Amino acid sequence: MSNAPAEEIPAEEIDLTEANEVIDKYLTLPGNLMPVLQGIQEAYGYVPKPTIDLVAERLNVYPSQIYGVLTFYAQFHLKPRGRFIIRVCVGTACHVQGAERITETFFGRLGIGHAETTADLRYTFEKVACLGACGMAPLAMVNDDTFGKMTVQKVDEIIETYNARPMK
Amino acid sequence: MVNLTINGKQVAVEKDATIYDAAKACGIKIPILCHDKKLHPFGGCRMCLVEVEQMKGRLIPACTTPVTEGMIVQTTTDEIVKARKLVLELLLLKHPIDCPVCDAAGDCDLQNLTYEYKVNMNRFVDEKFNHEIDYENPLIERDMNRCIHCGKCARICDEIVSYGAYTFINRGIEAKMGTEFDGPLNCEFCGSCVSVCPVGALNSRPFKFKARWWALQKTKSVCSYCGTGCQLTLGSKDGKVLTTIYDENQGFHNGQLCTRGRFGYQFVNSDKRLTTPLVRKNGKLQEATWEEALAEVTSRLSAGKSDPASVAALATPRLTNEELFLLEKVFRGTIGTDNIDHSAGFAHEALTKGAVASFGVAASPSEIADIQKSNLLLVVKSDAYETHPVIGFEINLGVKRKGVAIRIVSDKKGKLTRLPGAKTTVHTPGSEVALFNALCKSVIDQGLVAEGVAGLDALKAAVADATAEKAGVTAEEIAAVAKDYATAEKALIILPIGLGYPGHNAALASAAANLAILTGKIGKEGSGLLIMGEKNNSQGAVDMGIYPKGTGLAASAIIDGCANGNVKTLFVAGENPVVSYPNRKKVEKALENVEFMVVADLFLTETAALADVVLPACSFAEKNGTFTSLGRRVQNVRKAIPAVGLAKTDFEILNALSQALGGARYNNQGEVFTEIAATVPAYKGLSQAGLKDEGAVYPVAVAAKLVPVQAKTAAPAAGKLAMVTGSALYHCGTMSRFGEGPMYVCPDAYAELNVADASALKIAEGDQVTVTSATGAVQVAAKVGKRVPQGVVFSPYHFGEGSVNTITDGAEVTYVTVAKK
Repeated sequence: MSNAPAEEIPAEEIDLTEANEVIDKYLTLPGNLMPVLQGIQEAYGYVPKPTIDLVAERLNVYPSQIYGVLTFYAQFHLKPRGRFIIRVCVGTACHVQGAERITETFFGRLGIGHAETTADLRYTFEKVACLGACGMAPLAMVNDDTFGKMTVQKVDEIIETYNARPMK
Repeated sequence: MVNLTINGKQVAVEKDATIYDAAKACGIKIPILCHDKKLHPFGGCRMCLVEVEQMKGRLIPACTTPVTEGMIVQTTTDEIVKARKLVLELLLLKHPIDCPVCDAAGDCDLQNLTYEYKVNMNRFVDEKFNHEIDYENPLIERDMNRCIHCGKCARICDEIVSYGAYTFINRGIEAKMGTEFDGPLNCEFCGSCVSVCPVGALNSRPFKFKARWWALQKTKSVCSYCGTGCQLTLGSKDGKVLTTIYDENQGFHNGQLCTRGRFGYQFVNSDKRLTTPLVRKNGKLQEATWEEALAEVTSRLSAGKSDPASVAALATPRLTNEELFLLEKVFRGTIGTDNIDHSAGFAHEALTKGAVASFGVAASPSEIADIQKSNLLLVVKSDAYETHPVIGFEINLGVKRKGVAIRIVSDKKGKLTRLPGAKTTVHTPGSEVALFNALCKSVIDQGLVAEGVAGLDALKAAVADATAEKAGVTAEEIAAVAKDYATAEKALIILPIGLGYPGHNAALASAAANLAILTGKIGKEGSGLLIMGEKNNSQGAVDMGIYPKGTGLAASAIIDGCANGNVKTLFVAGENPVVSYPNRKKVEKALENVEFMVVADLFLTETAALADVVLPACSFAEKNGTFTSLGRRVQNVRKAIPAVGLAKTDFEILNALSQALGGARYNNQGEVFTEIAATVPAYKGLSQAGLKDEGAVYPVAVAAKLVPVQAKTAAPAAGKLAMVTGSALYHCGTMSRFGEGPMYVCPDAYAELNVADASALKIAEGDQVTVTSATGAVQVAAKVGKRVPQGVVFSPYHFGEGSVNTITDGAEVTYVTVAKK
């Protein structure tokens, strides 16, 4: 059990049109909470607090229960995430191949730590347990792109490449 | 029945029983942390592991495993004990060992099991939790460091309370019992979670550091707020009621209480209690002796004997049956006046007149137990939950666990409307009778009338022009509700009444009864009409005859009599007409005008402040007697603490007066009950000792007949909002204002507006607004939401400050303007 304080969720004003559309799509389906939350995350990149209240109201589910679901599944995010999600594998194979240095380099270059997002919302960084490609260790991924046999130099190349990409 | 053997003992149980139930039935104790009789089995704590011979090789949880024929169970082998010790060691790994300062010490299942299983050392070491303790509210303290993840709080909040404040949040080692967004607790504060928590993770803050558990004296009694009649156990010490104690085996409600019952008891020990008689001298109320005060009252009342019509009495339906019976005897018998009433003259006509007209008895033909036996509930006003929260829990259970369908007809939405499958028909305020007439007409039109209903033609004629539009709903809605109700095998109408509901009168009771009779829903289990009296002994007050029987004046006429000088002497036992009766100005003027007024009460209420003599009365915790619940259950009220100060029970006061006036004299209240049992037909054969802990439901012989009633429709006033009054969940009458708990959650009056109206009037949540009617104006805070429909304002009536009866005059609906102050 972690002794860390709970993640604080920023209060914000957002346009609920898309969330309403997602709910409309699944409203009459039994067991609709998961697809609705997934749809909302798809639309907004994360699950904003006002949408939780909306889902609670429209699906007639307690907000506490939705929060329980959201904090149970690793797939859901309650804070805005970056346009590019950098994931570095720290599983056994990657670890022995120097994954620690790779993560440290990313931390230094981006100025953020694990599970954090840059202020410009360009990058989110995550250490993950295993990406399932031990033959390519150490391994990093940016969204769906895979980068095997990672080195410190490659970190800079990756950052340069994605700095040049448009935000939308 | 299923037969099995537990520890060599033969036991036969129902086929849906678990091993845990079966063991309990034959007196074998299986330790448990996550189980509660009322909740679905959870199987989370693993303390109840047992061995089943047919399932050799592993230990299985007793609380989730159903019994099967021929099962052979062992509950305490060496292996089981070892496993349980391990469970305890693992729990104690994280659990703080702060028993000396924990309020649950002595009442903590974990502590007790640790002792029982002699876990005096731990083979494991780990860091303790360091969660922040939630002190954000003054009622419930949440210390999640002590939580053992049994999930009982989340389950009771979901399954029974239907609020859903708690849930498991995060995952794996980080999991904890949390709230939405892991914020502070923000709920109804019913304390159900505190009551079931097996450790000290959830504590009652008002009880904190007041007493060790084992030092409490425990007295079984009955809650003194609403008419539900919840049994409770008072925990007292040194002459003070310090807490209420949870017992899952107590009452029809299995120990469940609402926020008033759980946190509202503090009025008993309030430092605002009257402790000595007061007599008005030179225009001021001054302390006096009982002799002096009673002498003055006696001389006034004996003078009244020669002119009985000039004497009147108003009694609160919070007194015991014995006290009400004695009051009736003193005033009707000894003094000879028929001017006796309680709030019946304003709000309880549904019981005193409507039920008599439709059923031939002044009581509900149904019981609380019918709720869960029904197929469909038709709830009038969403507030059934707010006026009688534990009935609300019964409704929740019926709907969610037993699959009972629910239809609501109300002038606003409430918590019940969010129950699964609930359909709510929102009608215009004050049109309840019109709505029931329209339902009756629809039943007739759809050919759903039960066979052999007498008096059908008269009803047909009376409802011929009843339309859905008159109630502000569509014909389709009416037809659907009428069809659902009529075609349900068993259907129960739930009708709350009280001072806050001026339209819930005799006509409404009859209109609702007509629908039930028309469709053959009377006289069957799970069917009928449940008329829910507002106060703890509303039913008893009716049974004891606390209403004018012949030419006597009803409450409203007594007030008029005081104003015009016809009533010269007024005896008020516990009522607070200044705040609770309609038209405060008129009531105040009348009471100031009456020649002599005596008030017996716990507090110097707004009414008592106008009296000539004030007598300090005892609370329910200071006396013995009986209350009768809305389900006609007569229950024992037991004395838990000695009287506060010089206070006397209303029985003692009335007994002294009775004797002084030449009437009967009793040695104790028990003698009065004996007389009640001999003279009140429904109570025949009852004795206080025979009531034991569970009480007795007296039978009623219902002779149902259709009573056509005409709907009065109030013409809407252009440009004005329709104000409906009622009860706030946290309060009951005006007494709960002296309880810390209710006053924390809901301290002031408010006016609840629809978001659309609020934005049109430029009013935001929390703004001070002036609500003005033809009768007067009052300033309250605004509440903005979606519960009330557009064009309607809701306001609770309990408060002395910002009292809503300043602007109401007894009409079903009061048309008001609302403006920002």
